[in-house]
Amino acid sequence: MRDDLERLLERLVHASVLERLVISLAALVAAILVGGVLVFVSGAFASCRAGLDIAGVTFCYNPMQVYYELFLGSLGHPLEGGWSPMNYSLATTLRQTTLLIFAGLSVAVAFRAGLFNIGTQGQLVVGGLVTAVTVLFAAPYLPGGFVGTVLLVPLGVLAGALGGGFYGAIPGALKAYADANEVITTIMLNFIATGVTATLLSRWFQDPNSANPQTRAVPEYAEIPTLPGVGFSGRMDFSLLALGFAVALMIAIAWLLARTTFGYELRTTGIQPEAAAYGGVDEKRMTVASMTLSGALGGVAGAFWVLMQHGRWLENVPDLGFDGIAVSILAGNNPLGVGAAAFLFGVLDSGSSSINTSTDVPPELVGVLSGLLILFVAMPEFFRMIGRRFVDTDAAPARAAGGGADE
Amino acid sequence: MSSGLSRRTVLGAVGALAVLWLVAGLAFPDSWAGALLSIAASPSTHTAMLRLAVPIALAAIGGIFAEKSGVINIGIEGLLIVSAFSSIIVTFWLGSGGSTLALSHHWWGFAVGVLASTLFALIFAVVCIDFKADQIIAGLAVWLIALGLAPFASRIVFDSPNTAGVGRFQNVTVPILSEIPLLGYLLFDTPPQVYIMLGAAAAGWYLLNRTAFGRWVVASGENPKALDTAGVDVRRVRYAAVLLSGIFAGLGGAGFALGQLGTFAGGGETAIGGRGFIAIATYLFANYHPIGALGGSFLFAGLEAMQIQLQNLGYAVPTELIRTIPYATVIVVLVFVGKTQLPEAAGEPYDGDEE
Repeated sequence: MRDDLERLLERLVHASVLERLVISLAALVAAILVGGVLVFVSGAFASCRAGLDIAGVTFCYNPMQVYYELFLGSLGHPLEGGWSPMNYSLATTLRQTTLLIFAGLSVAVAFRAGLFNIGTQGQLVVGGLVTAVTVLFAAPYLPGGFVGTVLLVPLGVLAGALGGGFYGAIPGALKAYADANEVITTIMLNFIATGVTATLLSRWFQDPNSANPQTRAVPEYAEIPTLPGVGFSGRMDFSLLALGFAVALMIAIAWLLARTTFGYELRTTGIQPEAAAYGGVDEKRMTVASMTLSGALGGVAGAFWVLMQHGRWLENVPDLGFDGIAVSILAGNNPLGVGAAAFLFGVLDSGSSSINTSTDVPPELVGVLSGLLILFVAMPEFFRMIGRRFVDTDAAPARAAGGGADE
Repeated sequence: MSSGLSRRTVLGAVGALAVLWLVAGLAFPDSWAGALLSIAASPSTHTAMLRLAVPIALAAIGGIFAEKSGVINIGIEGLLIVSAFSSIIVTFWLGSGGSTLALSHHWWGFAVGVLASTLFALIFAVVCIDFKADQIIAGLAVWLIALGLAPFASRIVFDSPNTAGVGRFQNVTVPILSEIPLLGYLLFDTPPQVYIMLGAAAAGWYLLNRTAFGRWVVASGENPKALDTAGVDVRRVRYAAVLLSGIFAGLGGAGFALGQLGTFAGGGETAIGGRGFIAIATYLFANYHPIGALGGSFLFAGLEAMQIQLQNLGYAVPTELIRTIPYATVIVVLVFVGKTQLPEAAGEPYDGDEE
């Protein structure tokens, strides 16, 4: 029974990996096209001195230039002279990639268990604060220097994982034992996380020397160290070690899902809850366990955001958790795919500041693009229909009668 | 765990707590219970509650139609954002205060807001019904697109994620009736979006429970095959239901923006701030009953109104913490109504050509 299921799963996965890849790429192209039209058309509403005049309307924005800045600006303009791989923009891209790998894995693990964790953002917010507070509390009792780094960084990451894991376990338990829809509860818990952490900060953890809502800075040796000798020009908030850890964790999660009993039970619960229950899996416990693991990964994202990027927790947490949803969906919830998708979103994040400095187009465009991307990834049928128009596959009888792309 | 807790038990418990509060408040007017009671009893809290209920109630009633027909529309938050933003920006463009074709520019803005929301709902319908997209993911995408689009467009026009102010709807006062004690100031001296909300709740109830269309919507969600066999086009019913959710959400978003906010803040969670998701919890709690959803929206809006009053009166309350109360209430509500029976075919695309 178990072998059969395993073989079936294996075949499902292999048959769909290529298709998923094609669909993700097609969705990316579609999102870029629609986004380009949006940029061009919205240029008609902006005011500028020089633009493209068509029939008396001035179109201020050039989509090609926007995408040039978005995709090449985020790498530090490799096609222009004097490029070095150690440039500031690429470091930003890789920093975002690192954080998004954790966030994407968080969403992907829950997804594979059949749960939609929209709460990675909240788990990241909570985990980040727990990390900062733990490190700030523990630092005076521990030696400084190299020993301090070796002790405090793992402690901080562990604390973040515990905080995020606890915060993820809540919607898991609510789903398992009270049948409360995890989509709604996690969204609500995001709002609650923002409110509760802001209150905790202002009551106890606020940096007294700053007007910004933020904690005190952790000691420098408690931040994630950079590789000696590898300096990204002017970028102290990205560490190749962190990226290496993210990639290692990604491989570990892929292994956990593919090769362990826990991973097998998690996946079967996601695909066939009845079969999993028949096979002896305690569905309720699996729901709590997978949400806890998912939350812990979100918490790790928060820990790295604190220990790598800022050295402290700030009330204004970026939307890494929501980007994590996009990353996971684009990756087809495959842990190894998360790496590539996280890099793409790292490019989008870093490229948005490039757009902001080099063009007049609002950087919020990137938010629209990732929304479009998710929308297109969600409709593989759309691309299959288009595909069928051009390629004659024997497996496709006249299904187009149900409605075409022209609607 | 929740199986033993019916709605009736929960409502009974809430009622008992309310009575306890009332007694405590009356007996000890200087206590917290007394202070809260005087806030809850003040007319300004009531009018604020009615206005704050508008986006939640209308989005919830719209959501009922979509979900009853078998399409879970989790993107109504996005529809609220789109309608609120576009109604403000169109009013701004036309010039607030003026009027065209004997209709004030606020109403033109309102109409365009509803239209924009309906258009987004149409896209969502095409994606879910014809392209068989995962409804939750597609709904999420609608939300995220709206979340990016509003500040994007706002920055182009206003150079900031927040729009300029365009003023609000005036109160509509019904002569004589507005003199009725209690009901008068609540129902007959109030901005137009409140009338729209009350009318839409009644219309939604009638449409769902008393017409052939309502029966088709329910059948389309419970047993689309049977509806198909009876000769009704499931696809068209679902399209109509999703478009209706867009219209209702549009009325809510545009009404809230023009009647309450007068401007639109597009940063962060935007000025809508999760009211679309609260609406979803509201209709689940109301078990898909439009009038019940209206009542549920009063609960959440009432909490918000009291929080605002507390702040205005200068109580040293942890604002950030109090602001989370409605969200926490949604979770509590969901836990108690976990057993809400979703329509049998909700979430599944219907493919009449297959088999």
